[in-house]
Amino acid sequence: MKKKPEWLKVSYNKAAVDEINGIMTRLKLNTVCKEANCPNLGECYKKRTATFMIMGNICTRHCRFCNVSSGVVEPVDPNEPMHLAEAVKELELKHVVITSVTRDDLQDGGARHFANTIRAVRKLNPEVSIEVLIPDLKGVNDHLDIIIEANPDVINHNVETVKALYPQVRPEANYEQSMHVLNYVKTRAPHIKTKTGIMVGLGETDEQIYQVMDDSLEAGCDIFTIGQYLRPSSKHFEVKEYVTPEKFAAYKKIGEAKGFYYIASSPLVRSSYRAEEALRSDSHRREALGNEANGGNNCDLY
Amino acid sequence: MKKNIQMPKLSEKMESGVLAAWNKEVGENVEKGEVLFEIETEKVVSEVESLESGVLEAIYFEAGDEIKVDDIIAVINCD
Repeated sequence: MKKKPEWLKVSYNKAAVDEINGIMTRLKLNTVCKEANCPNLGECYKKRTATFMIMGNICTRHCRFCNVSSGVVEPVDPNEPMHLAEAVKELELKHVVITSVTRDDLQDGGARHFANTIRAVRKLNPEVSIEVLIPDLKGVNDHLDIIIEANPDVINHNVETVKALYPQVRPEANYEQSMHVLNYVKTRAPHIKTKTGIMVGLGETDEQIYQVMDDSLEAGCDIFTIGQYLRPSSKHFEVKEYVTPEKFAAYKKIGEAKGFYYIASSPLVRSSYRAEEALRSDSHRREALGNEANGGNNCDLY
Repeated sequence: MKKNIQMPKLSEKMESGVLAAWNKEVGENVEKGEVLFEIETEKVVSEVESLESGVLEAIYFEAGDEIKVDDIIAVINCD
């Protein structure tokens, strides 16, 4: 096991984790926090937040960085949208992030289920802002339209890594197709915030990272996240480098200068990191950024 | 009352973890919510908070040991 740098330290409180797991089990829901073994699970569950993962916990793809199991998928649960809406209410969330496994077996890639979930959450929780983190839906515009028409506040689709590493890291995906997803959403619905993110520490160069930033901006992407890749097990793609917090701060500055509406960059940043904050007004954002500059630490941020 | 402290299962597929450090010594008071020990897994180091208040009476493993999930690693006297 590669020795961890001191900044990769997280907190864990079993009682808080058990409470959220209990709610999810009762409502037959999955979280990506649990299935992907997210390092921030302990922190987020303690704050009673979670990122929901719909359409089961088995994925039809085999990305080499991901801890979600691959294999034979189960039928989609038609009651899941309502159960998820109930969980949002029970947890009193103000902002909900909903992602899914990739379901290449479904004719629409799961777009209708996403749309049904967005509508169910909105019906029961009209004040809640909704962010969906979607698979590429094979870049099919008609399927993207189904989600766009449900009108979430944010549509996120992660590029995950630089173009050159796709064959090794995301062998069943396509960099241009992912850029198309971002571009199509922004073109069809400019009012919806678009978002993407990458992991670093996979062996990419700074220039390749800046190219992803440029391509994402070209695709009209508003929000960009950068976090450290952490290997779930020895069977997964190896960590080539632990990028320092200073380097992450430098990426953030460069991304901001390039023109992103919002950028989150630090070792434990994940897709849903500060997801709500990116939607706040500019004045709130300035205040939050000021607090960060004045010594806010990671523990408050995930 | 004495409470056994077990090796936590920090993730669904976790079978064991490495004890990275004790944050308390035997004989020391522990408050509920304080970090009692740190566990290193493939991804990160987790600071595990105590679910009990009391005196740390015994520890059965040292930093660097690989420990199976659910093994008893310490005892807290809650009286």
